[in-house]
Amino acid sequence: MGKRVLVVDDDPDVRLFSQTVLEENGYIPVLATNGEEGEEAVKKEKPDLIILDVLMPRESGIRLYRRLKTNKKFKDIPIIMLSGIAEKSFLRSQKVLTEFGGDPVPEPEAYLEKPVDGDILADTIKKVLG
Amino acid sequence: MPKILLIDDEETNVRVLAISLRSDGYEVVTAYSGEQGLEVFDRESPDIVVTDIKMPGMDGIEVLKDIKKRNPEVEVIIITGHGDIDNAIEALKHGASDFINKPVRDEAISLALKRAQDKLNIRGKLKEYTENLEREIERATHELRLQSNFLQKLIRTSEEGIVATDKKFNVVIYNPAAENILGYTPSEVLYIKKAKDLFSKELMRHYQAKRHEKQNRVILHHLDTKVLNKDGIAIPVRFIGTFLYERKKIMGSVAFLQDLREIKRLEKELLMAERLVTIGQTVAGMAHGVKNILHGFKGGSYLMEVGFKKGDNDKLKAGWEMIQKNIKHTSELVMDLLSYSKVREPEYEPCNPNEIADDVCQVLEETAREHNVELIKEFDPTIVKVAMDSRSVHTTLMNLVSNAIDACVFDDTPGKSLQVKLKTFLEDGNVVRFEVVDNGMGMGKEVKDKIFTSFFSTKGHKGTGLGLLVARKLVEDHSGTIDVLSEIGKGTTFIVRVPFMELRDNGVQVLKFG
Repeated sequence: MGKRVLVVDDDPDVRLFSQTVLEENGYIPVLATNGEEGEEAVKKEKPDLIILDVLMPRESGIRLYRRLKTNKKFKDIPIIMLSGIAEKSFLRSQKVLTEFGGDPVPEPEAYLEKPVDGDILADTIKKVLG
Repeated sequence: MPKILLIDDEETNVRVLAISLRSDGYEVVTAYSGEQGLEVFDRESPDIVVTDIKMPGMDGIEVLKDIKKRNPEVEVIIITGHGDIDNAIEALKHGASDFINKPVRDEAISLALKRAQDKLNIRGKLKEYTENLEREIERATHELRLQSNFLQKLIRTSEEGIVATDKKFNVVIYNPAAENILGYTPSEVLYIKKAKDLFSKELMRHYQAKRHEKQNRVILHHLDTKVLNKDGIAIPVRFIGTFLYERKKIMGSVAFLQDLREIKRLEKELLMAERLVTIGQTVAGMAHGVKNILHGFKGGSYLMEVGFKKGDNDKLKAGWEMIQKNIKHTSELVMDLLSYSKVREPEYEPCNPNEIADDVCQVLEETAREHNVELIKEFDPTIVKVAMDSRSVHTTLMNLVSNAIDACVFDDTPGKSLQVKLKTFLEDGNVVRFEVVDNGMGMGKEVKDKIFTSFFSTKGHKGTGLGLLVARKLVEDHSGTIDVLSEIGKGTTFIVRVPFMELRDNGVQVLKFG
């Protein structure tokens, strides 16, 4: 059976793109439009991989990433960040949050900066899932 | 003491009289005939001549005539024989100042001399006064000329345009700086034009009103306004005008005009520089938006590739839509950037502000209906055709009304009937006020503070973040203002005030002062 991949992004076009890439490569896409929905979906669907955007209304990708990576139950689910925000900025924001008394979080399994080719996304997914 | 010349053919008389006069303190010279008298006269220049009338050879009358010819100011006293009234009268006719009878008594001669001396003194003083007066007049005239020269030069070299009129408002002073601003040559203006020919009715009315308000006082009331030059071009000036009074009556008026063209140009340059800085800053802010757009293109083409490969029309369609959406998005972003960075003088052209507003409503009606938003028009029917930049106004209203529709769409209060109103009002001072009112979700202070900054958008991937920035730029380029009132949950009102020029019947625009 195909692996379940959760896509969390507020932009419907990005969701449609990621969904298509996943379907074309034999994965089962699960879609969420913001951080809150994303967290619900993680609990309910227990995905094998998460593709996460950074800037979203309600619960950004930065917070959701922290919560997942500091939660025993979910911290081993690999995450591919897919965002217009540069990787450096994302890592810096995580560092700042750690300094303000949060638990340290590991770097994401992969970081893709938009724009991303469908093939590259597919390759990255394949690599991360092993 | 005056010098006296005594002339008598009787030497004894002369000697006795001379001794007596010298003892009175006079300087005395003598002669024993008329001819000798004239010789002595020429040599000694006496002030008073006392001459006997009857002498052999040249008689006293002739001596008198000759002396008066030589110097009319010399006093001549004639000595006549007793009862010789005819000769005495003859002598007076020829300018003798007095006459005394023979035998000459001391009292009589001293009285006559005293009278002559008084006359001389008075005449001397009179002369002195006259000469003094002439000198004074000359000095005053010189002073006056200097002062008038000074004033002339002051007026001529003033950096400020100076236009002064007499009490009938005929222009009597018009300096080179005024010529530089208004473009007319002095010969086209001086004593030909009146103040109302140079300045607009509005401006004249403004000062007329002040005149009644503050009679008898110098009003230095300045006004940043525009004047039309000879070629009909509006020149920005700071206008300072006042009436000149003399004993509570108007004796004229004067206007000082500071040319603001250079200042306005610098202001514009500064604004431009600031705008470029904003654009520089926003290039960084743009990166995120541009990346999203590019990702949209890639996503769209990926979908289309899949669609082609599999002959899947749905995928093709979805991919094509994605690409189209991002083309639209790209063009919006680029157009916004362009119109924000471009310097554009407002192009005043005849248009009816209500028609512009109506057109905006027509274009957006479809969008509003799709989102169940009611679009309501409330136009002021007193608004007529005026001159303003219709394109700027159109773009601004398009931005604001589509924002308002979005604000309604984002409001998900169940059962709320969503409305956007576009209102127009005619305001005093030739200003049209547009109001875009929505009853959508409204804004808090944080959002309100940020709406006019670049690349701030609450619409996520939908907005360019430049719309309001562009709207404000266009309105400000048109010397207008844009304000916003908002309350969370109740809605938002944008208020745009745009000044316009009036149209004359022949379609020529007339400058008005707001």
